[in-house]
Amino acid sequence: MAANFWTSSHYKQLLDQEEVNVVKPLDKEKGLTLEDFKLIKTHMANYIWKLAQHIKVRQRVVATAITYMRRVYTRKCMSQYDPCLVAPTCLYLAAKAEESMLQARLLVFYIKKLYSDEKYRYEIKDILEMEMKILEALDYYLVVFHPYRSVSQLLQDAGLNDTSMTQLTWGLVNDTYRMDLILVHPPHLIALACIYIASVHRDKDITAWFEELRVDMNVVKNISMEILDFYEVHKMITEERFNAAVNKLGLRP
Amino acid sequence: MSEKKIADRYLKREVLGEGTYGVVYKAIDIKTGNTVAIKKIRIGKQKEGVNFTALREIKLLKELKDPNIIELIDAFPHKGNLHLVFEFMETDLEAVIRDRNIFLSPADIKSYFQMTLKGLAYCHKKWVLHRDMKPNNLLIGPDGQLKLADFGLARIFGSPDRKFTHQVFARWYRAPELLFGTKQYGAAVDVWAAACIFAELLTRRPFLPGASDIDQLGKIFQAFGTPSPSQWPDLEYLPDYVEYQPAPAQPWRTLFPTASDDAIDLLSKMFTYDPKARISAQQALEHRYFSSAPLPTEPAKLPRPVPKRGSQSLRASDLNCLEGPTVLSPPRKTRRVMPDRDGFEGNAIPVDKNVHGGEIRQAAGHYTGNSDQFPTSVDFSVFGSRPMSRPTINSADRSHLKRKLDLEFQNPE
Repeated sequence: MAANFWTSSHYKQLLDQEEVNVVKPLDKEKGLTLEDFKLIKTHMANYIWKLAQHIKVRQRVVATAITYMRRVYTRKCMSQYDPCLVAPTCLYLAAKAEESMLQARLLVFYIKKLYSDEKYRYEIKDILEMEMKILEALDYYLVVFHPYRSVSQLLQDAGLNDTSMTQLTWGLVNDTYRMDLILVHPPHLIALACIYIASVHRDKDITAWFEELRVDMNVVKNISMEILDFYEVHKMITEERFNAAVNKLGLRP
Repeated sequence: MSEKKIADRYLKREVLGEGTYGVVYKAIDIKTGNTVAIKKIRIGKQKEGVNFTALREIKLLKELKDPNIIELIDAFPHKGNLHLVFEFMETDLEAVIRDRNIFLSPADIKSYFQMTLKGLAYCHKKWVLHRDMKPNNLLIGPDGQLKLADFGLARIFGSPDRKFTHQVFARWYRAPELLFGTKQYGAAVDVWAAACIFAELLTRRPFLPGASDIDQLGKIFQAFGTPSPSQWPDLEYLPDYVEYQPAPAQPWRTLFPTASDDAIDLLSKMFTYDPKARISAQQALEHRYFSSAPLPTEPAKLPRPVPKRGSQSLRASDLNCLEGPTVLSPPRKTRRVMPDRDGFEGNAIPVDKNVHGGEIRQAAGHYTGNSDQFPTSVDFSVFGSRPMSRPTINSADRSHLKRKLDLEFQNPE
């Protein structure tokens, strides 16, 4: 973990899970449940991944974009901030913040190419307008730390930086963005949880290495459990359920 | 708070100048009574939303809170434009250095330079490279505090293998490794620039005023001699390395006749060729130059230019203190027009005055962005083939893993 994480705005902004799991009153009125809320966020995280894969932006940009999107919904309601607009705009903003330019024109092109559904359809001017709103919702805090760098360093330190372990761990880290973990835990703990799962999965005993680290293994274990729990519910996240949830918001006539 | 209310918090006063990416106003913060400077970032004109350079500055300044860094007090959208609220600064170090009515004692120089290094060391501690250190980006507040400003070129430099553009800094402040085209550089580039500023404080003129990149290296070698392989082992591996006619170094005493021995020792450590051997900003602060007599002057007692009366001069000085474009001295950018100080810099280089500094600076920022565009998809190569919707572990693995996970660490330490 970079030495400055502990003095960063990211660290100061970490929330408790209970604070993240709050459906905003206006959304609640429309019948949005906590399950719906989580489902929409996961679906939008997948949407950002998919867009990013076609546009070919760096993984870090994707991770930052999803973090922005999740942060926005700790403060704003979905009925006023349409997820289908917030998600691509977060990708657009994250690309800038991570120093890789992504043209709004290109983004809109891919949205139209990949999704025929009316609800995804937005124009450049919508994205630019939303960009400003998102900046405000984020209170202009744009620096986000991610587990990726810790993963490489930690795997190397544990002597497990072979391709198979690296790939598995990185895949796990990618998957953590389908959850709210990045809003709740310091990135290096998420990294350790992913390494932990990967090591058990590959039957590598690195208990001794973990014990030498000065971290609370209970926290790491709990994060690991959360990740594994997510894999259980993940298969229930379908387009149909997403549509049902997002339709409750009554965003577009 | 609604948009209207936020905008109402500030009482708009006169325009201070046209900045890199919009107009700068002077304003009064009704809530605190303080004078502030508001940068209005035009959005409408650009098809790419919030200006890249502005966004970079916002991103970094939100993380940097230090007495020697300009404070971003607030930001708000109003009428489709983004507004950034900064603390109001009276003048800048360039105005101090160039003002011939100002006498800078060794203690004054020490104070100004100490504040410069403090701000810089803080940035580096936070893994931020400023990349545009020069006297007119060092603003001076009403209390005499010097603050680093203009983070439009700054970057976070956490990962060591990350490639950056070498097209940063005004030329005169560019470290030799940048002039030789290195793309992997670190905090040492800011230290070199700080050393140039130190030299400029001592001699009251730009220390290495190169007319081109090649001439810039020439000026550096003229002063410190051509670097030998033992001084700088990696030199010949740099991308744009060219051999220079060997030149001897000038004695430090000749270069800085008025400087103390301690000052010269510090200069020599900051002007070290090999970036790996160059002293860090923090180490420079701990150098005995700062603890030996005379001690640094208290900021409030430092000499500053007398604010001129009349709106014309007020605007001019305010503009200098807030925005780069009209003040960027080195020739690649635009040159400050200083009618009252003609000929001060001797053999000044002719400059195309039509070129607007702001545009050039923006172009430089854009370039930085572009340099990242090519390796964009690298991270994806490993997992690119795997459809994103499929999770890494399937649920059969999951229950098995969960049991195993639970068994271990039953009694964690």
